[in-house]
Amino acid sequence: MTLSAYLALALILFCIGLYGALTKRNTVIVLICIELMLNAVNINFVAFAKYGAHPGVHGHVFALFAIAIAAAEAAVGLAALIAFYRNRKTVQVDEANSLKH
Amino acid sequence: MSGTDIAFFLLALAAIAGGVTMLQLTNVVHMVIALVMTFLGIAGLYVLLSAEFVAVVQVLIYSGAITIIMLFAIMLTRHHADDKERQTTGGVWHRAVAAISVLAFGLAVYFGIRRLDFGADGSALATDNAREIGKWLYSYYTIPFEIVSVILLVALIGAIVLAKKDGKGAEDK
Amino acid sequence: MMNLAWVVPLFPLCSFALLLLFGRKWKKASAYVGIVATLLSLLAALGVLAGRLGGTTYEANWTWMQIGDVTLTAGFSVTALNAWMLVVVAFVSWLVHIYSQGYMAGDERFSTFYAYLGLFTFAMLGLVLSPNLLQAYIFWELVGLGSFLLIGFYFYKEEAKAAAKKAFIMTRIGDVGFFIGMLLLFWQTKSFDYDDIFRAVGDGTLSPGMTTLTAILIFIGAIGKSGQFPLHTWLPDAMEGPTPVSALIHAATMVAAGVYLVAALFPLYEASEAAMMTVAVIGGVTAIFAATIGLVQTDIKRVLAYSTISQLGYMMLALGSGSYVAAIFHLTTHAFFKALLFLAAGSVIHAVHTQNIEEMGGLWRRLPWTAPLFLVGALSISGVPLFAGFFSKDEILAAAWLNGSVELFWLAVAAALLTSFYMFRLFFLVFTGEARHDGDAHEAPMSMVGPMVVLGVLSVASGYIQTPWFGSFLGEWLTDGAYHHEAAPGWIAVVATIVSLVGILLAWLMYGKRTVPRDWLSARAPHGYELLRRHYYVDDFYRWTVVALVSFISRLLAYVDRYLVEGIVRLVTGTVSAAASAGSRGQNGQAQTYGAVTVAGLAILVVIFALTGGYWL
Repeated sequence: MTLSAYLALALILFCIGLYGALTKRNTVIVLICIELMLNAVNINFVAFAKYGAHPGVHGHVFALFAIAIAAAEAAVGLAALIAFYRNRKTVQVDEANSLKH
Repeated sequence: MSGTDIAFFLLALAAIAGGVTMLQLTNVVHMVIALVMTFLGIAGLYVLLSAEFVAVVQVLIYSGAITIIMLFAIMLTRHHADDKERQTTGGVWHRAVAAISVLAFGLAVYFGIRRLDFGADGSALATDNAREIGKWLYSYYTIPFEIVSVILLVALIGAIVLAKKDGKGAEDK
Repeated sequence: MMNLAWVVPLFPLCSFALLLLFGRKWKKASAYVGIVATLLSLLAALGVLAGRLGGTTYEANWTWMQIGDVTLTAGFSVTALNAWMLVVVAFVSWLVHIYSQGYMAGDERFSTFYAYLGLFTFAMLGLVLSPNLLQAYIFWELVGLGSFLLIGFYFYKEEAKAAAKKAFIMTRIGDVGFFIGMLLLFWQTKSFDYDDIFRAVGDGTLSPGMTTLTAILIFIGAIGKSGQFPLHTWLPDAMEGPTPVSALIHAATMVAAGVYLVAALFPLYEASEAAMMTVAVIGGVTAIFAATIGLVQTDIKRVLAYSTISQLGYMMLALGSGSYVAAIFHLTTHAFFKALLFLAAGSVIHAVHTQNIEEMGGLWRRLPWTAPLFLVGALSISGVPLFAGFFSKDEILAAAWLNGSVELFWLAVAAALLTSFYMFRLFFLVFTGEARHDGDAHEAPMSMVGPMVVLGVLSVASGYIQTPWFGSFLGEWLTDGAYHHEAAPGWIAVVATIVSLVGILLAWLMYGKRTVPRDWLSARAPHGYELLRRHYYVDDFYRWTVVALVSFISRLLAYVDRYLVEGIVRLVTGTVSAAASAGSRGQNGQAQTYGAVTVAGLAILVVIFALTGGYWL
C-alpha cells in the first residue's frame, strides 16, 4: 500500500468528524466526532512513520502523545458537559448560547 | 492484489462505515458503538503500518477508556432511546455551508495528497518497534513525556472540579 | 496717525466679536459696546483724515503669500478718497448705532443686531482701506454677508427671508462680474494692487480692449452692489430689514461700496471711453428709471429705496461723466440726507406702526422733531438752494453738461424734477392733512432724535465743502490740488432750482392743497400707472425668465439627486446594512455556527491555495 491511500483514508475520516462536529446537536456526539478527527491525525502520524521521508518510530511517539492529550481532552470535555447538563438540564449544543449577548 | 491490500481495504471500509453509520444513527448509544468499529478499524490499520504498540494503545484508550467514559456521560445525562428530536443543529443553510466547506476542504486536500509518495520503505520498523518507542520515550522525549503526565494530572483535577457539585447552589437540589 | 489707519476697522470687529461672545449676557449694554466701538473708530478715522490733510498718501503692504513668482500682498492705504470715506462711513455708522438703541429697544435679539452692525461696519471700513483688488473683494463679500444678515434680521418673516436671499443672490450676480474682471486684471498685470494696475493702464501694458472689458466687468459688480439697473430689484426688497439698517445700507455702507469701487478704480475707467459711457448711461437711466417708480410707491421706505437707486444713478452718471469729485461729493451729501430721511422714516414708523403712507397723515404736530428734520432731508435731496443736495446735484448736472452728453443731462434734470415731486408727495402725505390712522403717535426718544438732529445739520452744512462761491475744498483735496473747477454755465443752477421748485409745487398742489385731484394722471394713463406700480415689471420679468429657468433646472437636478444619486447611496447603504444584518444574524451564540464559518473560511483559503499554485502542479 502507498502512503496516499492512508492519507486519503485519514482525510475521509477527518471530514466525517469535522462535519459531525459542526452539525450534530448532541454534545456527546460532538466530542466523539472531535476524537474521530484526532484519530484521523494519528493515522497520518503513523503512516508517515512508515512511509515518510525519514521512517522511524518518532511518528509513533507523537501518536501516543496525541492519544494521551485526546484522553485528557475527553475527560475535561465530559466534565464540562456534566456541569452544563446540571445547569441547563440539556446536552444540546444549540442551547448553550448564553455568551451570545 | 496482495493480502495486505485486502486487509487495508477491509479495515478502511470498517473505519469509514463506522463513521458514516455514526452520522446516520439517531440513538446516541448506537452512535458510540458505531464509532467503536471505526476505532477498531484504525487499530487494525496501525498493525498494518507496523505500529503494534500504537494499535494496542488505540484499542485500550479509545475502544476501551474513552468509549466507556462517553457511555457513562450519556447515562448520566438525560437521553431517551426513542428520541425523536432532530439530531442536527441550525437550518438547511447551516448544514449546507458546513457540508460544502468540508467537501471543498476535503477535495482540495485530496488533490494535494493523491500522488504524495516519498518512495521510502519503513520495513525496518517491523521489528522491535515497542522497544524502540520505549527507548526514545525515556531518553530523547523525557521532558514531553513528563509534561504529558502533568497534563493528565491537571485534566484529572480539572475534570473533578468541573463536574463537582458547586457549593451552595447544588446543595439545594 | 496714518500708519495706524488699520485700527479703524478693528474697533467694529472687536465689537462684533465681543457681542457675539457676551451679547446674551450684556443685553441692553450691548448697545454701548457698539456705540463706543464705532465712536473710537470715528475718532481714529478723524485722526487719519487729519493726518492725510497735513501729509500725503500713505500705503503699507505686507507679503501675504507667495505662489511661484507671484507675491500677493495685504495692507492698507490712506489716500484722500480713503480717508474721506472712512470718516463718512464711521460717522454714519456711529449715528445709526446710537439711533438703533431707541429703535430696536425691546427686541429679543438686540445684541445680535449690534453684533451684525459691527460686522457690517467693519467690512465697509476694511473695503475702504484696501490697497488692492483682492483684499477689496474679500471685504466686498463681507459687506454682502453683513447686509444679508441684517436684511434677514427678522428671519421669522417670510418676506425678510426672501429679501435677504434676493439681496445676496442679486449682488452675487454682480460679484461674478467683479471677480472675473479682477482675475483678468491679475492675469494681465500680475498684480492686484491698484497702483500697479493704474501703472499698467498708463504705460499700455493693458490693451485698450482689455481695459474696457475689465472696467465693465468690475462695473457689473458695482451695479449689483449699488442697486443700478438692471440689478436694482433687491434694494427695495431690502426694506424688510430694520429701518436703521436701511439707513446704514443706503447711506454709507452697502450701496456706497459700488460707487466707491468705481471711484477707487477711476484711472482704469478714465482710460476707456466705452467704459465711461457705459457707466454714465447706466447711471442716467437708473436715475430716471427709479425716480419714476418712486412716484407711485405707497410704502414710505420703498419710496426712499427708489430714491436711493435714483441718487446712486446720479453718482454713476457723475463718474461716467468724468467728474470723480462730483460723485464723491454727492455720495457724501447723500449719505447724510439719506441717512436722515431713513432715520426720520424709522421714527415715523416707530410712531404709527405702519409703513403705508396712505395710513399716515397729519403727523406734523405729533412729531415736532421728526417732521422738520424730514423736511430738511427732503429739501436737501430735492436740491433746493442752500441745502447740501443742491450743490452736489448741481455739480453732477454741470459735469454731465460739460461732458457733452446732452441727453444724459436732460435725463438727470427730469430725474431731479421727479425726485422733488415724489419726496414732497411723501412729505405732504405723511405729515400734512388729516390723520388717517388710529392710535397715538409719540415722538421718538432722544437717542433717536439726537442722531437725526446731527444729520439734519450736516444735510445742510455738508454742501459747503464744495461750492461755486466759497471754493472747492473737497475737489482740491481729493485730487491733490489738481482740481480746476470748470465754470459751468450759470443757467444750470437756475434750471436745477426751477425744476426742484416745480416738483415741490406740483406735489403741493396734488397732495398738500389738493387743487389737483390725486388720480388726475393715473386716471388718464392707467397703463402707465400700473407699469410704474409694478416697477416696470422687472421683477416679474426676472420671475418668468431667470427664476423660472433656474428653478426648472434645479427641479431637474433635484430629481437627478433624489432618484439617481440617492439611489446609488441607498444601494451602498442597503448593501452594507444587509451585510451587517446578515453578519449579526450569524452572531447567534452558536459555537457550531462560528465553527462552520471558520471552516468555510479555511476551505476558501485552501481552495485558493490549491488553485493558485499547489506544489503538485
